[in-house]
Amino acid sequence: MKLSRRLMLKGVGGAMLGLPLLESLMPRVAHAADSGALPYAIFFRQGNGVAAAQNTSELGAEPERFWPRTLGALTAESLSGRALGVLTEHRSRLLVVRNINMRDYNYGDGHARGALQGMTARGPVVEGAGGGSEAAGESLDHRIGRVLNPQQRDSLFFYAGRRGGWLGGPCISYRSSGVRKAALHDPWAAYQTMIGGPGGLTPEAREQLLVRQRSVNDLVKAQLQQLQKRPELSSSDRQRLDLHLSNVRDLEVALSCRMRADQELLLQQQAPGYDSTMGDEVLATAKLHMDIAVLAVACGTTRAAVIQVGNGNDGDTRYRDPTTNQLMENFHYVSHRRTSHDSSGGIITGSDLLHHQVDLQFASAFKYLLDRLAAYQMPDGKRLIEHGVSVWYNDLGNGPAHSARNIPYVLAGSCNGFLKQGVYVEASGGGNPNHNRLLNTIGSAVGLRNAAGGNLDDFGDPALPKGVLSELIA
Amino acid sequence: MRPVLLGLALGGIAGCEGTIHDPERPGGPGTPGGPGPTVVEKPARSVRMARLTHAQWSSTVKELLRLDAPPTALAEGFRADPAQSGFLFDNDARALSVDEALWGAYQRAAAELAGQVTTSAAKLARILPASTASAEERARAFVESFGLRAHRRPLTSEEVEGYLALYRKGPQAYADMPAFEGGIRLVLEAFLQSPHFLYRVERSTEARQERVPLDDYEVASRLSYGLWGAMPDDALFTAASEGTLHSREGVATQARRMLQDARAKHVVEAFHRTLFDVPRYATIRPSPTRFPEVTQRFPEYAARENTLFVQDVVFARQGRYSDLLTSPSTFVNDELARVYGLSGTFTADFVPVTLNSRERKGVLTQVGFLASHATSADPDPIHRGVFLSERILCRKIGAPPANIPPLPAPAGRTNREVVASHTEAPGTACASCHSNLINPLGFPFENFDAIGRYRTTDNGHPVNASASPLIGDDNVQVRDALDLADALAEDASVHACYARHWVEYLHGRPFAEEDGPLVERLGKLSKEGGLSIVDLVVEVVTSEGFVNRHPEELP
Repeated sequence: MKLSRRLMLKGVGGAMLGLPLLESLMPRVAHAADSGALPYAIFFRQGNGVAAAQNTSELGAEPERFWPRTLGALTAESLSGRALGVLTEHRSRLLVVRNINMRDYNYGDGHARGALQGMTARGPVVEGAGGGSEAAGESLDHRIGRVLNPQQRDSLFFYAGRRGGWLGGPCISYRSSGVRKAALHDPWAAYQTMIGGPGGLTPEAREQLLVRQRSVNDLVKAQLQQLQKRPELSSSDRQRLDLHLSNVRDLEVALSCRMRADQELLLQQQAPGYDSTMGDEVLATAKLHMDIAVLAVACGTTRAAVIQVGNGNDGDTRYRDPTTNQLMENFHYVSHRRTSHDSSGGIITGSDLLHHQVDLQFASAFKYLLDRLAAYQMPDGKRLIEHGVSVWYNDLGNGPAHSARNIPYVLAGSCNGFLKQGVYVEASGGGNPNHNRLLNTIGSAVGLRNAAGGNLDDFGDPALPKGVLSELIA
Repeated sequence: MRPVLLGLALGGIAGCEGTIHDPERPGGPGTPGGPGPTVVEKPARSVRMARLTHAQWSSTVKELLRLDAPPTALAEGFRADPAQSGFLFDNDARALSVDEALWGAYQRAAAELAGQVTTSAAKLARILPASTASAEERARAFVESFGLRAHRRPLTSEEVEGYLALYRKGPQAYADMPAFEGGIRLVLEAFLQSPHFLYRVERSTEARQERVPLDDYEVASRLSYGLWGAMPDDALFTAASEGTLHSREGVATQARRMLQDARAKHVVEAFHRTLFDVPRYATIRPSPTRFPEVTQRFPEYAARENTLFVQDVVFARQGRYSDLLTSPSTFVNDELARVYGLSGTFTADFVPVTLNSRERKGVLTQVGFLASHATSADPDPIHRGVFLSERILCRKIGAPPANIPPLPAPAGRTNREVVASHTEAPGTACASCHSNLINPLGFPFENFDAIGRYRTTDNGHPVNASASPLIGDDNVQVRDALDLADALAEDASVHACYARHWVEYLHGRPFAEEDGPLVERLGKLSKEGGLSIVDLVVEVVTSEGFVNRHPEELP
């Protein structure tokens, strides 16, 4: 008997999510996934830059606290004393990239430029719009989802933090120019979206639900199709109808990929703290999102997930200073080194160290993701972490200067051998924008191709030089 | 500093055209406040399918299923809609889509609600028609009567048959329920997932005189979702079926009735909460060492004050926009009374008071606006000015450049002097925006510190709150915030800006050139004292643009 991919998944060290138990619920498409390890990408976005070496008018010379000490092979020594040191035990799977430069588009705001360009490699729809900006193109997670996901399901876009705020809160994932994707915020609702139905049902109840839903879907589809035929509809109406109709479908695949009942209950109980300004709760929520993302890529229900922490400038979240156990000022203030969202507030003493503490907490959250992925042993004997790539990235190179240069990119997992591992490399291109080529490299690693069947090389702004960063490819 | 965008407030309204009107439609000449002979008010382009916002969905479900309370918990489980850049409110129809996450949530909510209703005889009785000879006949009567309310128009015979076919699958779908209830349950699930329920669909297409008149049911839905954020009630459906929404008088009668309903209060509150950026109050965090007299609940109290003030002006006093800008009457509890310097005994309960009219008048001198536009220690005239420019004058300010150098230390100077020295140095890029557009709207509030407390000195110096802000087309000399409030209340463009916000909110779309004549007319009437806020809202919903469609769609 051919065993399903999911039945073969094994947790290691007890840190694992529940796996579907009933072979009878396994749809054929899931078996198709067994034939090869499908690469995926999980993006984890931090705002406000990192505590890298810099000179600030507030604090003067700030030492390096983020990047490895030396280029080349990553070692315990090269990572020691740096935020990336948290990831030391995963160093053999890391690809740390320096000299990734975004283009300095005129978004009218450094955070908008970084947050909206980060996943899209695009400029603004309207220049200089600041907090009212939108990106002029699709984001990479969405491209991966619509091209590679089963049933063209949406990529999973999670948002952890207080709703609203700068850039409207969730702002990094785009369907197309100026059209943002809505984010999954509440982890319990996100989980139910991923599995495609209500949690907590017995297999028999799920089966009955699917039968009922099919009947209702038929009627709803017919109504939507009738509306689509109306010639007077605008392109905007038509696009929204198309999106709606594309989601009215049977989701047996997803319904069979779920946590155990006791873990579902745990998730449901933990989820309510998601709309928070407390850093502990925000990152706890991000970890719940990671749980869902890991389960989704393990099951093959998605090939792309992106987790955004905090709004456009993470200006509402207050992380905890472990040295005092007190909440810091909000992260945006800390990153500016001042008690204001601009340059008018007083200087926050020791804010460079506080920024470093925030970096450490993000590093720990990223490690949590990597631990989860590494805990899954796949049918081919590899760990799930090897099948895809997990990307911890930032909007900015640093806080006070809002630099578009040297944007932190920490990749983990080789995408089945596509990417280099265990090294700290400098990306090519001198000081020119090359961030779009990084996204093309990640897209290629996951399986996207250009029109000629080669590596994806034209994602993002067509005005930028095309290509991948070959120095990242194994 | 980037160039400032000017002239948005009344864009496109300068020209006058020949009069084209349909005497059968609302908004024609000869009506109170109607357009003069040379002004044309026309509909602007809009989408045809506007998905219900989550708040509208919740209110609609309550009405449709005749529940005791809205299903708030279910709606809170819906993923938030993405922000639409440049649009102030949460109901821009272009941004309201149904993606996989929301579709799944709609499915789960439909199943939950249908289960609740059909497993309770009492709840089911609220929506079922009287018993008839057979279950099938009763089901048909239910589909027709409930369908009218769910689709917000009479169903076609084909639609009725579609739902009845589903009803007949009930016994298989819910084998453990009585057949009739099982069938109704499945039908209810379908109604709650129907695009005709989830969207407000406008199907009228026949153009007359450069506009497409909406049918009465479509007008009823525009009215109910505009004024209540909910589906039409029985009286509105009756008015639609009787064709009385085909005249301005008929629409105005319904609008005035609806504005007396509690549902309208929620809508008015939501509008002003957004307009005055009350959610920002939650970010108020004054320095505890500088301001030990305020507690952590201060932001919550400030928001409460704003709500009570707005409700009082709009409904209890039937007030005008000028009253929002200049009235010294408000509501306080003990903590706010301390900040306002009121004498007397106060408790945790909010009570009406009149503030010292030599210090304060209107919403812009209340603590919520003032403290939410301040750092933890000092007032923030820059952001106070930007708020006034964008929200009160509809004058967009371009984004500042990145990497602005920090404000210098006070060094014995006032807050104003520090800001001015930093932003108004002659010949700098900063000065072009700050000197003329931003700072003159913010400096008049220098009499109010970081928690909105009145002050006459700053850093040991007398406060200088005088300025010459650009209001409308003129620079107006003001001594302080009181003068500024009066100047704003006396300018038609300020009132037009307020009307423009209402047009955007009630239509769920951005301001368009076609809205110009209406906005200008309402601005003048409001400024001259001829329109209460309630009257202004009635004018919008009885206007040409509200009861007609543009012949072309919003792309």
